[in-house]
Amino acid sequence: MIDAAVLCPHPPLLLRELGGAQDPAAELRHDAVLAVRALVEGASSVVVVGGDDVGRAWDASTPVDVRRFGTTGAAPSRPGLPLSLGVGVRLLAEAGWRGPVETVALPWDGEGVDVLAEDLAGRPAGTVLLVLGDGSTRRGDNAPGYLDERAFPFDDAVAKALADGDAEALHTLDAALAAELMVLGATSFRLLGALGLRAGVSSATLDHRSDPFGVSWFVATWRLGR
Amino acid sequence: MLRLGHRTFADDDLLVMAIVNRTRDSFYDRGATYAEDAAHERVREVVAEGADVVDVGGVKAGPGQSVDAAEEIRRTVPFVAAVREEFPDLVISVDTWRAEVGAEVCAAGADLLNDAWGGFDPRLAEVAAAHDVALVCTHTNGATPRTPPHRPSYDDVVAAAVEATVALAERAVSLGVARESLLIDPAHDFDKNTWHSLELTRRLDEMVATGWPVLVSLSHKDFVGETLDAPLDGRLFGTLAATAVSAWQGARMFRVHDVAATRQTLDMVASIRGTRPPARVVRGLA
Repeated sequence: MIDAAVLCPHPPLLLRELGGAQDPAAELRHDAVLAVRALVEGASSVVVVGGDDVGRAWDASTPVDVRRFGTTGAAPSRPGLPLSLGVGVRLLAEAGWRGPVETVALPWDGEGVDVLAEDLAGRPAGTVLLVLGDGSTRRGDNAPGYLDERAFPFDDAVAKALADGDAEALHTLDAALAAELMVLGATSFRLLGALGLRAGVSSATLDHRSDPFGVSWFVATWRLGR
Repeated sequence: MLRLGHRTFADDDLLVMAIVNRTRDSFYDRGATYAEDAAHERVREVVAEGADVVDVGGVKAGPGQSVDAAEEIRRTVPFVAAVREEFPDLVISVDTWRAEVGAEVCAAGADLLNDAWGGFDPRLAEVAAAHDVALVCTHTNGATPRTPPHRPSYDDVVAAAVEATVALAERAVSLGVARESLLIDPAHDFDKNTWHSLELTRRLDEMVATGWPVLVSLSHKDFVGETLDAPLDGRLFGTLAATAVSAWQGARMFRVHDVAATRQTLDMVASIRGTRPPARVVRGLA
């Protein structure tokens, strides 16, 4: 089974070189790396799960495709990991994890969430999960998805479920509303919920919540088990 | 690596050299910093705006009031010493063609001699060697200091500038100036008409290809004014355009009046080229 899980967002800004000379996401990075470092302490292997257009397993040694988003230099390192998995792998590296990593992309529509949850439940003890997902992208006039007032209660509900270890609430998120609010974490939230429902949540903390650029970012840690 | 006296710079650094005139009659500032207090204030201002080098001049480049060596020393030497004291890390350049002035300013703390009249006094390079300071080697087509161009013509102005400046640089090395402490300057408008200065800008990559770091002095010059039919106070945009083109082609140092505008222009070019990360990028990445 999975012993513990950390949820992190996956903005390209977490790939440090994309932010430029300053670090526009310094606080998020700090809190995310701290949470991941605590997650992998004593772990034997890490599974990284994030959303993408197509669900499939990836070789974790595939390069992180930073060039797709920017920076400078010569040849892009394609094909690269999808953004969510790339950010996850990068966070693991920044947290100092050198052990085995498995990377799995789930499609945005959530297909396969319960199958993956079942699969993960059968992993040996010592396996931990890093799951990537963002909240709404419609939290202001300058947000990437403009303003949708429904984004605020939606994100508040996600934050509360993460903080309370409320697996049921995450697993039964309104997927249609999430899609309208441009939530790129719905699948990941549901996966976390499915794992919590199976294994129980022994402790939950919301380690970070912010939306400096109109996108909701959460970092949360769940310890699983009854 | 470029070494200017006590400081070294990386090959992809774009350096701003701020003009600080201790003259009554220079063409653009018209004596604004002739007074010592005003000159010190100017240094503080350009340092705050990001200048890497200040270039102190005691004699107007064009024709005008006569300034002998003693007067030039009076204008520059105590000033250089005071700037050195206030800004220990600042690179101080002195714009002079006279060896006796060069020796005095080096003793007072100068790091760089800007020989804007292209070796008119051949002993100036010896002074640079003796004090282990840097030297700018300039193409003036053999012009006498402070004379404006009159019907200058060239088979190939760029080839002439390359040949003359490289010869001056090699001569300086032979006299003992450190190879990493030499710059070459095509000297826009010095014995050149506007066509010549435009061509030097257009083909600046040929000067860069010599391997010697290139300094350009473009600020508010007449080739900008004639090209744009712009009066003296209307040449900033043209200057910055020429600055951007020169930087893109590989110029390394920019002698300017407008430090903040130049710094911003050079930062933009460096980021387009990919040698400087943008300051802060969030649009579309959150």
